[in-house]
Amino acid sequence: MSDVSADSLAEIYRTTYRALVRFLYRKVWDAERAEDLAQEAFARAVVHKPENARGWLFIVAANMARDEARRAARERRHLTLLTAESREGAPASDEVFQAEQERAQMRAALEQLTPRDREVLLLWDAGLSYSEIAAHTGLAQGAVGTTLARARRRLVEAHEAGEKGEHVARG
Amino acid sequence: MSHVDDGTLHAYLDGELSPPEAQGVEAHVAQCPACRERLEEERALIARATELLAQAAPPERDLPPFRPGDIQPPVRLWWQVRLPLAWAATIALALGIGTYVGDHNGMRPALEQTPTAPPTEFADQLAPNALPSAIARTRDTEAALKRQRAPERRGRASQPAAPPDSVAAAEEKRKEERIPQASADSIAIRESNALAVRESPPMVAGGQHMAAKAAAPAPPLPPAPTPGRLGMMRVGDHGYALKGGLIGVDSARALLGRDPLVVPDAPILGIYRARMVGYSGVIVEQAPDSSTVIEVINARPASLQLDAIVVTGAAEARADSERRGAPTQIDRRVDTLAPAAGRQKTDSTVSGFSVEIIGPLSADSLAALRRLLRPLRP
Repeated sequence: MSDVSADSLAEIYRTTYRALVRFLYRKVWDAERAEDLAQEAFARAVVHKPENARGWLFIVAANMARDEARRAARERRHLTLLTAESREGAPASDEVFQAEQERAQMRAALEQLTPRDREVLLLWDAGLSYSEIAAHTGLAQGAVGTTLARARRRLVEAHEAGEKGEHVARG
Repeated sequence: MSHVDDGTLHAYLDGELSPPEAQGVEAHVAQCPACRERLEEERALIARATELLAQAAPPERDLPPFRPGDIQPPVRLWWQVRLPLAWAATIALALGIGTYVGDHNGMRPALEQTPTAPPTEFADQLAPNALPSAIARTRDTEAALKRQRAPERRGRASQPAAPPDSVAAAEEKRKEERIPQASADSIAIRESNALAVRESPPMVAGGQHMAAKAAAPAPPLPPAPTPGRLGMMRVGDHGYALKGGLIGVDSARALLGRDPLVVPDAPILGIYRARMVGYSGVIVEQAPDSSTVIEVINARPASLQLDAIVVTGAAEARADSERRGAPTQIDRRVDTLAPAAGRQKTDSTVSGFSVEIIGPLSADSLAALRRLLRPLRP
């Protein structure tokens, strides 16, 4: 029995770990931290042996990321100011700079979505089905498509607006 | 007929509609140009959103090994099946006698005296016939040596035994020790046993019984009831490893001075300390699939290593061997490893560090697994 759940958990780990890291990364924006939290979520799953381990993992991960965000929120405000200043002085290679800029734009666009739209979008991108997303968010399954449609449109629009703003600022 | 809403279009494109619902959408789109156009727009929107999300992805890294932590591996039968020598050890236990013999390589297996005693406790009990030439010499000096050894062993044995018992036991002991050796030795075993029989008439029946037992066992020994995880396994020509207690990854690193090698992506069931004379070892138990358990044995020469073993407490025997020009010290360095014939395992040595995989698999599979071995990362 414990063997079965350990085996199936090992299988879920193999198929879901990276998606969970990706999901967490878009919440904490730190690859190492996202991996730590994903490991922690799996460690808890080993202890709790939840029935629907995959859905459970994403709920636990989302909660951990929320706690993390609250804790970091206060520090972040003035840290952002500091990095904004220091970044100008540090010339990075074009590719690194470009990739970082794209990521920053994406992050800004993603943060313009409502929390629920963002959650649904990230869960879908992590590979969860409509029914799993419905169970996770409390939405009716029929509403998941509508929410996703809105979230995708807003993401693309916010990103385009961000790009335009960037060009205006540069030009 | 009413148009298809955005949510349904997205659900359709995401493959989340039931077959009848999807057919309904397709039927409508087929006869509604406006919805057909929207369908393509939404398809492009989904592609664009997915593309944007991909820009906000963490760097791809190797999947770290899954370690279910404190999940205890169940006690398994395979453990008993794969330890043919445990059978011989059980006889030794029953007789209450343990001894030690070195072979021509210098390093000889330790036979358990009690199931928990670490092999190092036997270091001072190396029997004189461990000497390389002594093995060849055994036949003619057997009788002379035996007379001295028998009382000596009796003294060491924890339980009192009658003299003929000790003689037979000592012979039995020597037979067991030679089991892993080449078959040529078995002749010596029988001869020496015959000697014992001749020497101790009261034990004729018992001695022959033992001889029959000893002649049979070599390759497919029946499984012996080995206690729990404490048992011995043969490790290449290192001799024997005693499987110790569960340890953590960090302790394993400290013991080896490097990351233990493991088969990547195979769940780790447990890491154990391996007790081997002259080596620091770690045994990693892994399950490449749900029905197979392999053991990856990592070992490095211990910093504290014996260079020589001097036999004490057998003065006359040594005098005897000196007279015949036999060396009285045993070179204990074991650098070259040759896989023992007939055993399914694979090992290699890189600058003193050696790895071996033992498991219920074919030699080819084990060799393939060996090629996969990678250092265990946190």
